[in-house]
Amino acid sequence: MSRVVITGLGIISAIGDNVNQNREMLIQGVSGISSLQFCDTRYSGLRPCGEIKHTIPSLKEKLQATEPGVTRTSLLALHAFQEACGNAKLQLSDIASPDTALIGASTVGGMCLTDELYHDANTKEEGSPYLSSYDCASVNLYLQQRYGMKGIINTINTACSSSANAIMYGARLLQQGLAKRAIVGGADSLAKFTINGFNALHILSPEICTPFDQDRKGLNLGEGAAFLVLEREEEVKDKTVYAILSGYGNSNDAYHPSSLSDNGDGPQLSMQRALETADLSPLQISFINAHGTGTENNDLSESTAMIRLFGAPPPFVSSKANTGHTLGAAGAIEAVFSILNLYHQEIYPSLQFKTPIETTLLTPVQEYRPASLQHVMSNSFGFGGNCSSLIFSRLI
Amino acid sequence: MEKEQLKQQLKQQIVQFLNLTSIQPGDIKDDEPLFGEGLGLDSIDSIELIVLLSREYGVTIQDPKEGRKVLVDINTMADYIIAHKTK
Amino acid sequence: MYIHQHTCISAQETFENINLDIIHPPVGNKLVAKEPVYKGIPPGILRRMGKAVRMGAGAGLPIIENYRNINGIIIGTANGGMEDCIKFLNQIIDYEEGMLTPGNFVQSTPNAIAAQIGLMATNKGYNITHVHRGLSFENALLDAFMMLKTNPEASYLVGTVDEISAYNYNIDYLDGWYKSELHPGLSLYDTGSPGSIAGEGAAMFLVSSNRKNAIAQIRDIQTIHTTDHAVLKEMLREMLHKNALHTGDIDLLISGENGDIRLLPYYTEVTRIFNNTTAVVRYKHLSGEFPTSSAIATWLACGSSLPAHLFQSGYTGAAAKNIMIYNNYKGLQHSFILIGKSFGS
Repeated sequence: MSRVVITGLGIISAIGDNVNQNREMLIQGVSGISSLQFCDTRYSGLRPCGEIKHTIPSLKEKLQATEPGVTRTSLLALHAFQEACGNAKLQLSDIASPDTALIGASTVGGMCLTDELYHDANTKEEGSPYLSSYDCASVNLYLQQRYGMKGIINTINTACSSSANAIMYGARLLQQGLAKRAIVGGADSLAKFTINGFNALHILSPEICTPFDQDRKGLNLGEGAAFLVLEREEEVKDKTVYAILSGYGNSNDAYHPSSLSDNGDGPQLSMQRALETADLSPLQISFINAHGTGTENNDLSESTAMIRLFGAPPPFVSSKANTGHTLGAAGAIEAVFSILNLYHQEIYPSLQFKTPIETTLLTPVQEYRPASLQHVMSNSFGFGGNCSSLIFSRLI
Repeated sequence: MEKEQLKQQLKQQIVQFLNLTSIQPGDIKDDEPLFGEGLGLDSIDSIELIVLLSREYGVTIQDPKEGRKVLVDINTMADYIIAHKTK
Repeated sequence: MYIHQHTCISAQETFENINLDIIHPPVGNKLVAKEPVYKGIPPGILRRMGKAVRMGAGAGLPIIENYRNINGIIIGTANGGMEDCIKFLNQIIDYEEGMLTPGNFVQSTPNAIAAQIGLMATNKGYNITHVHRGLSFENALLDAFMMLKTNPEASYLVGTVDEISAYNYNIDYLDGWYKSELHPGLSLYDTGSPGSIAGEGAAMFLVSSNRKNAIAQIRDIQTIHTTDHAVLKEMLREMLHKNALHTGDIDLLISGENGDIRLLPYYTEVTRIFNNTTAVVRYKHLSGEFPTSSAIATWLACGSSLPAHLFQSGYTGAAAKNIMIYNNYKGLQHSFILIGKSFGS
């Protein structure tokens, strides 16, 4: 089976509008989490978030997105999509080709327009311009229509692991010969809907989150988008290859609708299956970008799973205190970070950590350092027990 | 309101609020554990019950850990409501 | 990829005592699902489920009870539990972002259906939810197709759910996708007006690579986003060619025609590619229109024979060997599903 390589990256998050800015902020250990400025909610001063400091009109102008009904989530997606395609030197004809797939993930979709949605869903009078923009698929359908894409288009929603599964699905399309290239990733924007949802579950932290810390108080929501261009190795010619997507695993924890099992069955299985598809042993993993949301439940379950699988886990970080938890975009954003780890042979620090969890005693890497990395794992776990792990490897 | 009356009302509200369709309010014993064995409720239910106390009785529980002490059984819930209710 | 078991909850008698000779007409412009009594779902779990999760779990349960060792659960749903979504949304506004109950929020995520089935079956295998609006089912099928190529010994539960909720009904109504009502006595297909009627339902399939005792074979799935009739017809021709079939080899076309005058030309063009040896069946008057209704068509294709009244043309009473399903969602998302019923098992 042909190897799947990454030839393009695009990202927008609370720590930067493009790949270079994101990398610079990761190196400097800057957190993008702050009080909300643009997302209208009564929690704006109470629950800090990883907000992208651009207004919708400024994004529309920058992207020349004048179509009616375009949402913030679609704008963020378009921003990252354009960077990834440019980075991979894709022509418009390549993007529109029947051989190019678009596999995107979103959990919020157009529900970022919580108030408009409330109006449209409860009225029989005139609708808003957003009637066909609320669902998760609207984001990818916007990209499809803007670029006249004729290949396989799909949208995946497995909550917080959505875009890891989008990456996986794209890779499988290439391996099975159903596409020559796949643009894969995810996008989500901050919404009153998700802020209130997570807040109702009492898992939003009132401060910047502290992943893997004994005294962690919950997660911060974030927004962003990231896309990767996947191509078959034999077709890339002289393009820059950032990494190989060497392994992927998906499992279900089958424990509870909104929390992970204490012994981390689902996380352990997804990591193990990723190792199996990559044909690697646990010892060969150089580094892990953990899911590490900063909730009581996730960090304990993930730590337990890492210990079960690795014994002594390799160096790991969580980048959630940098970007916030970007839900459907998280898997893709952290895939970009993992690929940057590999390509630049460096580790970015995990922020906000003080005290290890009593029962697991794991300590994430807390300072920037160059490192010799061969295989990097990225974890994403979501509600409904949906667990996914990806492994990226250095091209040698 | 009499404590007995409050307990009956609470049982009805719990059954309705949590949509416990297979249980009659009268089936719930005052000292039957709400979580684990007994009614078999879980962590999401505990948050729903905290919302119920807030909406129906104006009783606020900020810390979910405190919630665990209050939401033991019907008796402990009723005692807490009597001590803290604002409506 | 072979189908070994198929279940369906719809507005018709498709679940326990299957009877397609009875037709339940729409009420106003809605075909609401006939939900069974969900005996197998523990009450402690059932109490939390919204209709979409309930229908999905209810349709999936008979299959997971028979096949305890499936390797994964692959669900397509455009909207998942939208009724819970709107309930939570209304709480946000009505209580001004105050203390809210999280149950609706947890159940509103579309992956709650696959997750709930996984939980009931304690299945820790592959678990995924495709939400690509009118192609959610097709992408789920394609996913299963790829999984089986890599794991030929495996079997998967593949299925779909979508519900009529205040959310999607009002929004699609405002957007012009439903007729205001369907007059009794007038066929859905003869209204000559824009819009269709709303529908809902769940269909579940057990698929594997094992042809022995299979009910049907999914031979190919093709999807495209276009408004160009020529592109669409070209795709169908290429698909037939790839599968070494002539138009005359397709003895049954299941058409997703939905009474919307704006979409009729697509269906007419596709039907015209076939000649009069291909019979045509329409099903949206039974199911109503919803994003994953092509799964209902697939369920119909799995049945041993279809009653004469479902045929628009070409009814012979003989069982079809090669079936093509064509569906078109809102004029942009098109799919062809090729089903074989004769594969020498």
